[in-house]
Amino acid sequence: MPEIIKIEHMTKDYGGGRGIFDFSLSVNEGEAYGLVGTNGSGKTTTMRHLMGFLAPDSGSCEIGGINCRQHPDQIAKRVGYVPGQIDFPDVGSGTNFLKIQAQYFGIRDMSYTEKLIDLFKIDTSAPLKRMSKGMKQKMALVAAFMAKPDILLLDEPSTGLDPVMRDALIGLILEQKERGATVFMSSHIFKELEDTCDQVTFIHNGKVINTVSRALCGENMPRLYRIGFADESQYRAFKAHTSFQIDSFNDEYKHLTAVVPVNEMNSFVRVLADYNMRYVRFVPYSLEMYYKKYIENGGNV
Amino acid sequence: MFSLPLFRQSVKSNWVLWTAITSVMSVLCVQFAALEMTQPLLFVIFYGMMTTILPSIYVLVTANKLIANQVDRGSMAYVLSTPIKRSAVNFTQSVFLIGSLAAMFGIETLLHLAVNAAKPITIATALGNSELPLQGNLTAKMIVQVNLSAFVVCIAIAAVCFMFSDIFNSAKYSIGLSGTFVGVNILANMLAMFGSLGVGGLDKFRYLTICSFYDHQSVLFSQNDWIIKMIYPAAIAAAAFMIGSAVFRKKDLPL
Repeated sequence: MPEIIKIEHMTKDYGGGRGIFDFSLSVNEGEAYGLVGTNGSGKTTTMRHLMGFLAPDSGSCEIGGINCRQHPDQIAKRVGYVPGQIDFPDVGSGTNFLKIQAQYFGIRDMSYTEKLIDLFKIDTSAPLKRMSKGMKQKMALVAAFMAKPDILLLDEPSTGLDPVMRDALIGLILEQKERGATVFMSSHIFKELEDTCDQVTFIHNGKVINTVSRALCGENMPRLYRIGFADESQYRAFKAHTSFQIDSFNDEYKHLTAVVPVNEMNSFVRVLADYNMRYVRFVPYSLEMYYKKYIENGGNV
Repeated sequence: MFSLPLFRQSVKSNWVLWTAITSVMSVLCVQFAALEMTQPLLFVIFYGMMTTILPSIYVLVTANKLIANQVDRGSMAYVLSTPIKRSAVNFTQSVFLIGSLAAMFGIETLLHLAVNAAKPITIATALGNSELPLQGNLTAKMIVQVNLSAFVVCIAIAAVCFMFSDIFNSAKYSIGLSGTFVGVNILANMLAMFGSLGVGGLDKFRYLTICSFYDHQSVLFSQNDWIIKMIYPAAIAAAAFMIGSAVFRKKDLPL
């Protein structure tokens, strides 16, 4: 698959450690790509560079071989953008807003737009200024998806959405992927990235720290099991003698989480049989855990 | 270069203030031109102050709303995420600003022409000074020329406000500097007018205001000074629009 979004050694220094630093990543056509990071880690700054709103201090970014900064108008022809900051032009009702957006994109057939409005259950006749945060976010999503763009740049697209609407959004993103669109989204909600993205890049304080692919959550990953022990001595004994890697533990509650490689499941059970336990629980491995651990360990997983 | 949807959007978000200011200006114009009591103040109050103050208020608010406010609030993202160049956004918004100002002066001028045709007055009456060596009535040509002179000065004020709107990402700086600029010009113009009415020393203030290039006296005296004086505000306007556009095309936008 050809590369469609390319960011090369991009730096934008706002001073005081804020900004993005030597940022490089590449997204292939038809891929869903996630950008995860805490608040202020540089997600929005990256998006703004891709839209050509900001000029990098050094390095460059391009979409489909076109430099984002030099020809943002050509980029915009192919891109649907959900900004991180949601405020609409002062044009009265939601219907007016969508009508004007359609004119900008030269959309005549509004049937797909209607479909999106139905999907998100929006009352577009309401004045934009009276809309709730979630309602505004849904309007922004319709505006971004209505032109059926090849590339979607979504800056925290699920902000303010209720769980049902978040699922609708995930469904919509998967649908776009199916039709061949490339999705580049940022979020700090790991679930929606896990459900949609082929690759996820973690960023922290403006630096790329790691890129993981979907395989992280795949079949061959080591499993995590949490074991609660009956008493202190059993807990200490297991902790002292086990050959399994211990991911985390809690002395007070006498439980710990062990890492179990796929092919050692049987020996794990055999070892456990010698201990008095309160419970054993499978802990699904998530991007969130991965990320938290990364931040806690100061950059080493 | 020109974006019709953006123009429509600007009309939708700015027609209220335009209608209000245009109505006030039109009503005042008709009143000063038609009522015998106020006719002597037509050129002192109405053409002396109102034709610069009222459009300035409109321009101050609107120029800020057209660019800086939308960048500050983030709504400009919806315009710029469509296939429109920044230069086209800038051009379209400046066309709207000048166009709406032209419509405002157009309506006021037509109304004055209508009133003047129905109730002609002498130039001396209109100036409120019967001792001036002026013969004849206020002609339609004079009315058009006076308004043209005021219009060009207002374009210059609009261009400077629009330049600040282009330069700053923060609406408070844009409106703050535009407001200072407009305020100083209007205030100096009023003080200079008191000076010309006989208060000693105040006439020096005319060097502090762009409104001095608007010269209704020379029109009424059938001189050509007002035409030459239009060159300066026109040059200021051109320079301001060019600087604004250059900055807006290149700057970082927090969208």
